[in-house]
Amino acid sequence: MSPNILQKYSTGNFHFPIKSGIDNILVNKDSILEVTQKIKEDEDLLYNQLVDITVTDNMLSKSSYSNERFTLIYSFLSLKFNKRLFIFTNISEDNLDINSITQIFEPADWFERECYDLFGINFVNHPNLQRIMNDYNFQGHPLRKDFPLTGYEEVRYDENLKKVVYEPVTLKQEFRDFDNESPWEGMKETIKEELEKK
Amino acid sequence: MSENFKPVTLNFGPQHPAAHGVLRLLVQLEGEVVNKAEPHIGLLHRGTEKLIEQKTYTQAIPYFDRLDYVSPMCQEHAFALAVENLLNIEAPKRAQYIRVMFAEVTRILNHLLNIPAFAMDIGAATPMLWAFEEREKMLEFHEAVSGARFHAAYFRPGGVHQDLPENLLEKMKKYFTNFPKFIDTLEELLTENRIFKQRSVDIGILKKDDAIRLSCSGPVLRASGIAWDLRKSQPYDVYDDLDFNIPVGKTGDTYDRYLVRMEEMRESVKIILQCIENIPEGPVMVENNKITPPKRSEMKNSMEAIIHHFKLFTEGYRVPEGITYKSVEAPKGEFGVVLVSDGSSKPYRCKLRAPGFVHLQALHFLSKGHQLADVPSILGSLDIVFGEVDR
Repeated sequence: MSPNILQKYSTGNFHFPIKSGIDNILVNKDSILEVTQKIKEDEDLLYNQLVDITVTDNMLSKSSYSNERFTLIYSFLSLKFNKRLFIFTNISEDNLDINSITQIFEPADWFERECYDLFGINFVNHPNLQRIMNDYNFQGHPLRKDFPLTGYEEVRYDENLKKVVYEPVTLKQEFRDFDNESPWEGMKETIKEELEKK
Repeated sequence: MSENFKPVTLNFGPQHPAAHGVLRLLVQLEGEVVNKAEPHIGLLHRGTEKLIEQKTYTQAIPYFDRLDYVSPMCQEHAFALAVENLLNIEAPKRAQYIRVMFAEVTRILNHLLNIPAFAMDIGAATPMLWAFEEREKMLEFHEAVSGARFHAAYFRPGGVHQDLPENLLEKMKKYFTNFPKFIDTLEELLTENRIFKQRSVDIGILKKDDAIRLSCSGPVLRASGIAWDLRKSQPYDVYDDLDFNIPVGKTGDTYDRYLVRMEEMRESVKIILQCIENIPEGPVMVENNKITPPKRSEMKNSMEAIIHHFKLFTEGYRVPEGITYKSVEAPKGEFGVVLVSDGSSKPYRCKLRAPGFVHLQALHFLSKGHQLADVPSILGSLDIVFGEVDR
């Protein structure tokens, strides 16, 4: 279970502090199928459960862990060795395609649909790439950082028309987004000091 | 069956009492036999993850109560652990004991809802009424510590919000020493009940390999015969120091899942009683006013305390940048939080990994080839709550 085994599948390091001691590798998005297949079958790894697939939109991030717009985070669990693994993959805004891993890990089906619905990642060869969380005719991908919190459309039942109607969002008052963050680094430094004392 | 027979597609839900919430299930039937069951979810989607991104870490806690609304505290637990991990702090021992104790109370509450609801789906009405009486008594403990029956917001990063009120431990001890008797009466009603067994034994069998392949966790995985429990395998807080067993099933049918949950309640009672016995004195929150709010009494005569209070409830605390994944053994399975912080006082990304989401995906596999009437039985045994599935 040494990290060396994992390193042979990795294409680089993910320059971001990963807490809670989980093994992690960064792979090229073209090799995702190959790598997931290997970590599942490798006798020394046996990552036999897919725990989660999720995405972060790096558009507004203050830290520079990725130059690309999206980062996919796959997390796996090995029931035999009691170990977890993160696989990171970067996806650029211009090409949102990535191979679906549903043939290797079945539960990826809904996880990938969710990533498609909320972020617009396009999973190639997915058996049924439809929206899962949002309405059937929803437009846009709500968890992207450039999607407003209030959305664009609202829904109500119209008593006269006897049907559900979609209308542009009208806010009763202006959307208030307070920026309470102080310009001083005070808090940050103090927490660091506290930690160093430990 | 005649040759010119066409399969019927049936719309089960979204408003069906046996769907345990708003599930739209498209069932393709051949006669009475299910060919394909395709769940359509998202009818309860509230965009929790998007909302959390707009809130400070403290303001994000109440959203966790509203995910799986029958086991609120376990989910706060996962979030509190994740934030603590990023902040590199550890809750004081007393707080850890309180958290474990209430996580187990929550587990019993959850199972006491799931088991009778499952039983009611397949024809037994009494357990529901009996269990709800006991649930109400246990919710009083929730109320005593947090002031709320369900949406507690009690576990905070750094500990728990407030210390236990006086006499609560004695009351809990008295109640939980007697509680196994109630489990016995519930078992008398169900375990050997002929109708209950006819509707659940050998229905929705999930073999070991399939359970792993479909990423099942929690009681569903254990009922298939795999002794996997995050409280034992990746212990958090004080589960390490406590003595309890993991009940495991044999065949992995809906009846086994029921039995595992029954046994789990007994183990939870054991854990709670041990916690009451061993709980140490001391603070219940990390004593660092950069992260946790100062005491009200302190604020009456300390300017610094007022400043701390003001900063914590406007700006919040900044969390060092990093990614973490923390999971807890929630009553339904592995509930995890992927937390990404970019160094500000709001979570940059917070992904909630809900066990029900994965289990519902297995519904097609489990119900294929069964009769339509077995679908509610399978659905009930998977313990689906839509608050967490749709998020």
